[in-house]
Amino acid sequence: MSSGGGGGTPPQEDRVLGAFIGLAIGDAAGWPAARHRSLRLAPWSRRLHRELDAFAEERQVTTLPVPFALNQPVEPLALGPSDDAEWLAWTAATIHDDRAEAFGRLAERDDLRARISVWSALDNLAAGLGPPASGHDNPHFFDDAAAVRAVAFGAAGMDPVADAQVTNSGDGVLGAVAVATAVGALVRGAPMREAVDAAVGALPEDTAIGHAARTAVAVAREHGDPFAAVPALDAALLDHVYSYGVAAAETVPIALALADVAMSPGEPPEESLGEPAGGAAGKAGASALGAGGAFGAAVSAAACLASVADSAPALTGALAGACAGHAALPEGWRTAARTLTGCCLPELAGADLLAVARALVAGHGTGSTRDSTGISIQMATQMATQMATRRGTA
Amino acid sequence: MTAPLASLSPLPPLSPRDRARGCLLGLAAGDALGAPAENLTPEAIAARWGVLDEIEGGGTDDTEYSLFAASLLLRHGHALTSQDVVEAWRTEIVARADGPMRGAGFSELGTVQALRRGLRPPLTGRWHPHGWSDGLAMRAAPYGIFAAGDPDEAARLAEVDGRVSHSGEGVLGGRAVAAAVAVAMTGAEPGEVIEAGLRAIPADSWTARAVGKAIEIADAGRETTSREEFARGLHDAVVVKHYPWTDLAPEAVALAFSAYLRGGGEVEAAVVTAANLGRDADTTAAIAGALAGAGTGEAGVPARWARRIGAVTGRCLPVVAGRHVLDAADRLVDRLTDRLAERTSDRPADRLVEGM
Repeated sequence: MSSGGGGGTPPQEDRVLGAFIGLAIGDAAGWPAARHRSLRLAPWSRRLHRELDAFAEERQVTTLPVPFALNQPVEPLALGPSDDAEWLAWTAATIHDDRAEAFGRLAERDDLRARISVWSALDNLAAGLGPPASGHDNPHFFDDAAAVRAVAFGAAGMDPVADAQVTNSGDGVLGAVAVATAVGALVRGAPMREAVDAAVGALPEDTAIGHAARTAVAVAREHGDPFAAVPALDAALLDHVYSYGVAAAETVPIALALADVAMSPGEPPEESLGEPAGGAAGKAGASALGAGGAFGAAVSAAACLASVADSAPALTGALAGACAGHAALPEGWRTAARTLTGCCLPELAGADLLAVARALVAGHGTGSTRDSTGISIQMATQMATQMATRRGTA
Repeated sequence: MTAPLASLSPLPPLSPRDRARGCLLGLAAGDALGAPAENLTPEAIAARWGVLDEIEGGGTDDTEYSLFAASLLLRHGHALTSQDVVEAWRTEIVARADGPMRGAGFSELGTVQALRRGLRPPLTGRWHPHGWSDGLAMRAAPYGIFAAGDPDEAARLAEVDGRVSHSGEGVLGGRAVAAAVAVAMTGAEPGEVIEAGLRAIPADSWTARAVGKAIEIADAGRETTSREEFARGLHDAVVVKHYPWTDLAPEAVALAFSAYLRGGGEVEAAVVTAANLGRDADTTAAIAGALAGAGTGEAGVPARWARRIGAVTGRCLPVVAGRHVLDAADRLVDRLTDRLAERTSDRPADRLVEGM
C-alpha cells in the first residue's frame, strides 16, 4: 500500500508524523481548502469570485463558482493543505517558546490569515491583555484553533492548556485538551478506542463539547462505520444556526467519533437495530481496508459534513493518522499534503510539514528537552524549504 | 428589598409606578429610535441623519422580549424557576416558530434548537455558541423593576431566565443590566447605578473590563469631548475588530452604560447618545433608555417619543402582540405593591409604601 517512509522510522516517530501529515491530508480534503489556498492569488480574483456569487444569486443559476486562477499561477488551487496545517507547523516550530510571547510576535504583523479567535486574541495582546483574558474576552473563544494546535502538544507529550488559553476559553480550551489527550495516547501506542475514551473523559458532561462528544461517539458506534454515520451525526450535532463551522464543540466530537468508529475493531452491531447489512458491511469494510483505508474512510466522512468540512476532516486526519502511522497513509495523499502553501503564514510557503514534524520529534526525544530552546520558526522554515526544494529537484 | 427607595435622591420622590413606566417607555423609545441605526457606523449615521433623534418606526425584539420577561414575572414572581422559563419558551416561542423567525437573533434560534433536542438548562444556553449575546441584557429591565432597590435579587432573577438561553458573558450582561435598573428605580445617581451593575458581576470578566473602559471614556470627556471623539474612543476601546456581528453582550452593555453616563441620566440625551453610536443600536439605546427612564420617571421620556410608542405588533415574538409597555409596567408594580403590602403589614414604617 505504501512505499517506504516507515521502513527505518521508529513506531512512535511514525505515529507523530502520521498525526501531522494526517491533519494536513484532512485539511486538504473537501471544498474549503481551495478557498483558503486562493488567498495566495491576487485579491481581485477573489473579488471576481464574490461577483460571480452575486451573479449566480441574481440570475438564479446553480453553477456555483469555485476558486479560479485568471492570469495567475494555478498551483495554489491544486490539492494541498491550507490553514490548519500551517498553524500546526507554526505551533510545532515555536512549541518551546512562552505562548504569549510567541503570539505576541504575531500581533505585530499584518500579513496573517487566522481564525476570529486568533485575531481577537492578537488584538487583545496588542492592547496589553494577556492570557487567559486574551482567549476569554474573545467572541470566538469556543472555536477549534487551539484544538488544531493541540495536535503538536499531544504529539510532543506536552500540556496544551497554556497555549490554548492565549486564543480560547471554555469549550475552545477543552477541545484542545481532548485532542492533545487523544493524540498523546495514540502516539504512545494506545488503541484508538482507549484514546477516544480518554479524550471524552476529559470533557465535563455539562458542557456543550462534553455533551456533544458523548452523543457523537454513541451515534457513530451505533452505525458502525464512518460514512454510514454521516447523516446521523449531522442530525445529532449540527444545528445549522451559526455559520462559521469551526466550533470546537462540533468539530472535535465529530473527529473523535469518526476516528473511533473507523479505527476501532467494531463490536457486532445490535441485531435489533434493523440495519444488519450496513452494520456488518461497515465492520467488515473497516478491517478489510487496513489502517490506510480506515484513515481514508474517517477523513472522507468528515469532509461529507459540509458545515464542518473546513476543520473536522483535519482533526479527524490527525487522530486517524496518529493511529495508523505515517507509513500506512496513502502515498498520493502524503505527497500532496506535505508541502505548505503559505496561505495563512506566508513565510511557510514551500515548507515541508514532514520536516517540521521530524524536528519536533528530535527536539522532544533527545533527552535534553529540559533546557531546549526549540527551533525557531525561521530555522524550521529554512530547513523545511530546503528539504522541499531538494525533493522537488530529485 | 429593604433599601429606602426614593430617599436616596434629593429630588421629590417619584413613585415606583412612575419609575417603572419611565423605565419601559424609555426602553421602547430607545429600541424604536435605534432600530434604523443598527449595524451602522457612527460616521454612516451622521452622514444619513446628522443626529438621529426622531423615532421613525416601531420597536423590535428588545421591547417584545422584555414584555415576554415581564409576563414570566407576572406569572411566577420571585418564585420563577428556569424550568418555568423553559415551559414558556416551549409553549409560547418554540411552538409558534414554524414559519420564519423574524427578529430572532442567533441566541434565540440556537435556544429553540436546543429545546427541540430536549436539552435542559443550563445546557440549553451552552449548546449554541451565542451564550455571550446581548439577548438577555436587552430583556433584563423588568427584573430590575420587579426587584426595585434589591440589585442582588434583580440579578438573580435575570440569571434564572438567562441560563435557559445564554451562558457566560451573556448571563453577566443580563445580571448587570437588571441590577443597574433595580438601583435606578431608587432614583440613585447614574454613577451609583452603574456601580451597582458592576457589583452584580465578577471583576474578572469581559463585561466588567469593557464597562470599566467605557466608564473611563464617559467620565473623561463629558464636558470637552465631541460626540464624534466620544464615539471613536468608545469604539476603539470596546468594539471587537475581527468579529462581524454586533451582538456581543460585553460590548453592548458597555456602550449602553457609557451613553447613559454621558447623557447624565437624562432619557433623551442617553438614548440619542446610544443610538448614534451604531453597532447594536436598538439594544444599546433600549438599555440606556431603561436606566434613564427609571431614574426620571415617565415624564422624563420626551412626549414626542412617548406618542410614537403603541402596543407591540409581535413582529419578533407573536405571543406578545397587542401588549403595551405601560400596561406591563403597571402590572409589574401592582405585583410589587401587593408584595410590599404583605410584607409591610408587619412593618408599617417601611419607606417603600410612601412613594406609591
